[in-house]
Amino acid sequence: MSIAFLFPGQGSQQPNMLHHLPQHPVIEKTLHEASKVLKDDILRWDSAKALQSTVAVQVALLVAGVAVARALQAEGVRPDMVAGHSVGAFGAAVTANALTFRDAISLVKLRGELMESAYPHGYGMGVVVGIEERQLARLIANHFTNENPVYIANLNSPKQITISGSIRGIEKILALAREEGASKAEFLNVRVPSHCVLMKSVSSQLRNAMEMIPFQPPQIPYAANRTARPLRDPEAIKEDLALSVSHPVRWHEAICVLFELGAQLFIEMPPKNVLTNLAQQAFPCRRSISVADSGIRTVCVVAQRMKENSNC
Amino acid sequence: MNRIHRSKRSWTTRRDAKAKRMAKLERVVNGKIIPTDKIVEALEAVIAPGDRVVLEGNNQKQASFLSKALSKVNPEKVNGLHMIMSSVSRPEHLDIFEKGIARKIDFSYAGPQSLRMSQMLEDGKLIIGEIHTYLELYGRLFIDLTPSVALVAADKADRSGNLYTGPNTEETPTLVEATAFRDGIVIAQVNELADELPRVDIPGSWIDFIVIADQPYELEPLFTRDPRLITEIQILMAMMTIRGIYERHNIQSLNHGIGFNTAAIELLLPTYGESLGLKGKICRHWALNPHPTLIPAIETGWVESIHCFGGEVGMEKYIAARPDVFFTGKDGSLRSNRALSQVAGQYAVDLFIGSTLQMDRDGNSSTVTIGRLAGFGGAPNMGHDPRGRRHSTPAWLDMITSDHPIAKGKKLVVQIVETFQKGNRPVFVESLDAIEVGKKANLATAPIMIYGDDVTHVVTEEGIAYLYKANSLEERRQAIAAIAGVTPIGLEHDPKRTEQLRRDGLVAFPEDLGIRRTDAKRSLLAAKSIEELVEWSEGLYEPPARFRSW
Repeated sequence: MSIAFLFPGQGSQQPNMLHHLPQHPVIEKTLHEASKVLKDDILRWDSAKALQSTVAVQVALLVAGVAVARALQAEGVRPDMVAGHSVGAFGAAVTANALTFRDAISLVKLRGELMESAYPHGYGMGVVVGIEERQLARLIANHFTNENPVYIANLNSPKQITISGSIRGIEKILALAREEGASKAEFLNVRVPSHCVLMKSVSSQLRNAMEMIPFQPPQIPYAANRTARPLRDPEAIKEDLALSVSHPVRWHEAICVLFELGAQLFIEMPPKNVLTNLAQQAFPCRRSISVADSGIRTVCVVAQRMKENSNC
Repeated sequence: MNRIHRSKRSWTTRRDAKAKRMAKLERVVNGKIIPTDKIVEALEAVIAPGDRVVLEGNNQKQASFLSKALSKVNPEKVNGLHMIMSSVSRPEHLDIFEKGIARKIDFSYAGPQSLRMSQMLEDGKLIIGEIHTYLELYGRLFIDLTPSVALVAADKADRSGNLYTGPNTEETPTLVEATAFRDGIVIAQVNELADELPRVDIPGSWIDFIVIADQPYELEPLFTRDPRLITEIQILMAMMTIRGIYERHNIQSLNHGIGFNTAAIELLLPTYGESLGLKGKICRHWALNPHPTLIPAIETGWVESIHCFGGEVGMEKYIAARPDVFFTGKDGSLRSNRALSQVAGQYAVDLFIGSTLQMDRDGNSSTVTIGRLAGFGGAPNMGHDPRGRRHSTPAWLDMITSDHPIAKGKKLVVQIVETFQKGNRPVFVESLDAIEVGKKANLATAPIMIYGDDVTHVVTEEGIAYLYKANSLEERRQAIAAIAGVTPIGLEHDPKRTEQLRRDGLVAFPEDLGIRRTDAKRSLLAAKSIEELVEWSEGLYEPPARFRSW
C-alpha cells in the first residue's frame, strides 16, 4: 500500500494557520527551527495582515507542510512519494530529503521576495472551470496581444485551469471563456502573474541562488510541477523548483503519475483541502484525506488500517 | 547440384546457449526450485543483456513476484532487455525501463500506466516496437518475437514443475509454449508447492524453474460491474440492442465488453428478453469472462455455453457448480485460455459489442486520448470482420446486402455509447485524439481501436444506426450523425434527412422498435445489486470485499 503526501500552494493560506496546527511536539520543534532560521518568531508571520505579503504566505505554507509531514512520520505514517503544488513543491522536496528545511526556508523567502517585486501592479491570475485546455489555449492564442499578455498557468484538473498575465488581458479571456460555456471564470486574489513566462527572471535568479545549495538524492520519488515526471535525480528536482514559477504546474498529470506509481492514499498537508478535492475527483476509487479536515490522529488510523488490509 | 556451398555451422546454438545459462544456476537451485530469496540472483544469472523477455501480466493475472524481482536486478548485469507483455499494468513494469534494465517493449495494453508510458516514450526512456491485439502478440511469439526467457505465474506446482493454474490459466500456456520449444528458459512463480496437483494445466517438462512467491500473484477483478451503478439510459440502450439487433438478426453466439452497457443487457435477458419470448432463441453461446452480471441469465436457462479468456475473482465456486455451462477440469474448476478464447471471439461468434471513448464521423473509434498511450487488448481482435471466415450462421448471412452470387456474410460489430461521456466530453468528434497521439509517439499508424468499415451497428441513447445497410460513405455518415445527439457530429446533421433514413431502415429510434423511453426502468434489471447477484447464485458467488456493501 503506497501513500502520497501532497503539499498545497498559494491560495490555501488561512489567517492563523500556524497557530491552528495540530498539537504535536514535532510540530512545535519545527516552528522553533523556522523561527531560528528566519531570526524572527514564525508565529508572527500568519496573521491576516502578515499574509497580505506573498513572502509570508509562501514561508508559512512551507513551514506548515513540513511540520505536519514530520509529525505524521513520527507517528509512523511514511510517504512513498510526494508532490507539492507551486511553492508546495519545496515542502515536498524537504520531505523527500532532497533539500534541508533550513535551505528551503531561505529559498522560499527569496522566491516570495523576487515574485513580489517583479510586477508591482497591473498583473494577476484568474481561474476558468468547465472548459478544457485545448479550448482555452485556442481562446488565448486567438486574442493574444503583447500589451496585455495572458498565459495558461496551472492545469489543476482537466477542467480547472488558471491563467496568468495582465489584468486587462485576463478580464477579456474570462469573459470569452464564460461565453464558450465555462461554468466559472473569475479573478483570483493573487497580484503576481505566476507560472508563466513573465516570471522568467525570477526563475533565473532562483536558479543562481540554488547553485550554492546542496541537494541530496531524494529517498522517494518527487512528482515535478513543470513536467509531471516522477523525479529521482537531485539536479532535476533543483531545476523543477527553479523553473516551476515561470511554467505551468501540470498538477493533474503529476497526481496521475503518483496514481500510476501505485498511490492508494493521498494525504494533504494543512491548512486546507484543495488538493484533496482534486485527488478525489481524479481518483474516486482511491482514498484522499486532508489533515485539516481529519486531524493527525484520524489520518494515522486510516493509513494504518489501509496498510493492514493490503498485501502489498 | 552438389556444388552448392553448404556452410559449416552449428544447428544447436540456442540449445547450447540455454545449457550454459542453466549451468550458471546450478549452485543456486535445488532441483527445479529457485529459493524465494535467491530470485534476483537467479534472474541475473539466466537473463543476458538484450534478451527478449516475456513477462506475464495481462489485464487479470500478474506475475507480480517476478516483475518485482526483475525490477531489482543490477542494471550493470542485466540491461537493454526487450520486453514482451500483453499488459503494462503495474508500477514496476515501467520501473524496469526507468532503471535501464529494459529498453524496448512490444505490448497490447497499457491503460493503468498510460501516462507514464507516454512520458517515458517522449523522454526516450523506452522504445515501442508495436502495439498489438492480444492474439497478434501471441502470434508473433511464434514468428519473430520468440522469447529467450518467460516469467509466468501459476497457483501451484509439484516438484517436477507441473503447473496448476486453476481458473486463471489465461495466457500462461501460450507464453510457455513459445519459449520452451525454442530453447528459451521458463521460470514460473507459484503460490505454493504441492505434492499432488488438482490437475495439470501445463506439463512440467515445459518448465525449467519454479519459485515460490512471497505473496500470491495479483489478480484484478476487472469484469465485476455493480448493478447499482447501471443507469436508465443504459437500460434503454440495452433494450434497443436486444430488440433491434439480437432479436432482429437472430444472434446465437457473442462476446460482450466490460462496460455497464453490456452488463445492463445481461441483466435484461431474464426479464425484458423473456417478455419478448426470446429465451432459447438468442444469446446461447458466449466467449466471455465469467461476468457476475450474467448469473441471472445462466440461472434462468438462457445460456448453454461460455468459454472464458480468464477467470473472475469470486466466481470460482459458482463456476465449479455449473460445469454444463463453463469449461471445467477434472478437479471441477474453470479452465480459461486467453489465446483460444480470442480465436473463438474472432471467428466463431456472431457478434461483438463494446464501447469506446471517441468515434469520428466515419465510425472509426479509439480509447486513446491525448497524453496517454493505452493500447487496446482484445477489442480490435473481436471487433472486426474476419475475412477468412467460411462457416455461415443466420446472423452472419443476415448482413448480406447484395444478391451477387458470391456475396458473403459479415460478423456483427456493434458499438454502444452514450453521446457524451463523463465530464461532458462528446463521444462523437470531428477528429480522433488517436491521430495526434500516434504522430507524437511516432507510431506507423494511428492507434485506432475499431475501424469504421468493420462496424455494422452503432447504438446510442438516441437510436440505432444500421451501418451495414449504407450504400455509400455519405449514407454511413448520415446514419451516424442522426444518432449522435448534440455532439459536434450530431449538430451538423439535417433532421429532415432522418425521416428518410428511418424509412430506409438505416436508423431506428426506440419507438420504431416498439420501446417507450419511459419503460426503461431500473426495476427491469434481474439483479439491482451485487447482493442480489449473490442471491441468484444461491450463495456460490463470493464477491471481493470492495464490492460488498452489506
